[in-house]
Amino acid sequence: MSVSDWLLFLLVRSLSLASLPGSIPFSSLQVQPQPDAKMCDQTFLAITFGPCDSCGLNKPLMNIYLKNEPINYCSLCVELMACQGLATGETIHTLKAESESLKTKLEEERAKLHDVELHQVAEKVEALGQFVMKTRRTLKGHGNKVLCMDWCRDKRRIVSSSQDGKVIVWDAYTTNKEHAVTMPCTWVMACAYAPSGCAVACGGLDNKCSVYPLSLDKNENLSAKKKSVAMHTNYLSSCSFTNSDMQILTSSGDGTCALWDVESGQLLQSFHGHSADVLSLNLAPSETGNTFVSGGCDKKANVWDMRSGQNVQSFETHESDINSVKYYPSGDAFATGSDDATCRLYDLRADREVAIYSKESIIFGASSVDFSLSGRLLFAGYNDYTINVWDVLKGTRVAILFGHENRVSTVRVSPDGTAFCSGSWDNTLRSHSQVGCSSGKWWRWRLNGS
Amino acid sequence: MSTTNNIAQARKLVEQLRIEAGIEQFSPFIRHDNRWQRMSTTNNIAQARKLVEQLRIEAGIERIKVSKAAADLMSYCEQHARSDPLLVGVPTSENPFKDKKPCIIL
Repeated sequence: MSVSDWLLFLLVRSLSLASLPGSIPFSSLQVQPQPDAKMCDQTFLAITFGPCDSCGLNKPLMNIYLKNEPINYCSLCVELMACQGLATGETIHTLKAESESLKTKLEEERAKLHDVELHQVAEKVEALGQFVMKTRRTLKGHGNKVLCMDWCRDKRRIVSSSQDGKVIVWDAYTTNKEHAVTMPCTWVMACAYAPSGCAVACGGLDNKCSVYPLSLDKNENLSAKKKSVAMHTNYLSSCSFTNSDMQILTSSGDGTCALWDVESGQLLQSFHGHSADVLSLNLAPSETGNTFVSGGCDKKANVWDMRSGQNVQSFETHESDINSVKYYPSGDAFATGSDDATCRLYDLRADREVAIYSKESIIFGASSVDFSLSGRLLFAGYNDYTINVWDVLKGTRVAILFGHENRVSTVRVSPDGTAFCSGSWDNTLRSHSQVGCSSGKWWRWRLNGS
Repeated sequence: MSTTNNIAQARKLVEQLRIEAGIEQFSPFIRHDNRWQRMSTTNNIAQARKLVEQLRIEAGIERIKVSKAAADLMSYCEQHARSDPLLVGVPTSENPFKDKKPCIIL
């Protein structure tokens, strides 16, 4: 080879290695300041530009987390680091082959235990009688779409948030508004009531979760006492207090969930594993321990261990975004509502989907699901303005509720189970409860006759 | 003439090196409703290793039969059905959400 050829070869070689990040269109690069240690970010999703921590060159960086410590490496150094840990003989191909074989093995294991369907086992359970639900209260006052709501543990108060940035605390029995806060952003997609009833948390397009302590003094300006707790790099889709007022779990459009300490704003644990926006999360009922489930736009529902940050189980049978996840009251299963117009029940101990709640006539996505207290009923709000009530065990629809004039965005059952409240894009919230059910008589018969 | 040959060779070489280095190809964001979804082929080693680790963990968990799990769900339902107000209904006198009737002053 001539000298010029050799030089060209070297040039090409260096260009090819340096062009590893060149496949990303430059329009997607953002110049950002050094990420704050308190921020929670998706691995490989947000790309910043700056000096690499290991090689020192100015390159597009990938923000990754190692044992919860953020490091900024350029993509070449990430590859080198990954290669270092490989055992001898492992290449990209062996790893791919192993992942494929593990996936098929997982499917086989799951299929082996699939001996019967839930509705077959439930055939011996008595069918529910005719259901009549009535709208008891209509809460009017929001100026725009209601996006989220939560009940207080005193079974009486409700906090709701809407697109116009207002967060309102209502008394559900009297329909009075007790507090109102105006957030500095629109589309407040998440709100939650603290277990003590003394604070509410909310967030949305501002990428933050803010906690407002509620005071008894009605004239007090709540915005003055606001505390910013969580910081994500994309919109906040859902937030929930853990069993105390001191910790908040949030999920975000940046694909991560995170656990924060309210007092200090410190990030306690981050959960990486979704490959698209996380839309919803739900904590396990307290008896069963420190896990939570999250559902996202990557059609996956993941179960996480809060202490280690590990993804313990993953379910991917939906055909579209999962909008809502909710644990069964016993904590052994959870239900999901999705844009593919179905709701599904997944059992954690059997590690598979055990029921699908769908009908050919339902073509609009389910935006929100919740269980009744015993877990027999599943309430699901759909984008076709209705709420369908499903019999969880038999898989049949028990009732349809009409009344909203736009999409139902959120459905929640009260803590004592006497009513459930639905929020909708028609700017109202409605609370519904039972009028009278012939199955009530059936239960009395069972008590007498058994 | 020799320069064009070299450029052609150089291009081929770049392609070859790219394949060998296993560059991750990012495809553009796909818009879905008002949310963005990223699709990327897992070509690089770091992601493949993460995936294998995750699958190893998931393959190792203990599972029970669906019949047992379903039976447990059913028994939970039956145990708690009596105390479920949305299932059995509450007497109107106790229902905090009953319709308000206007007071009549006699």
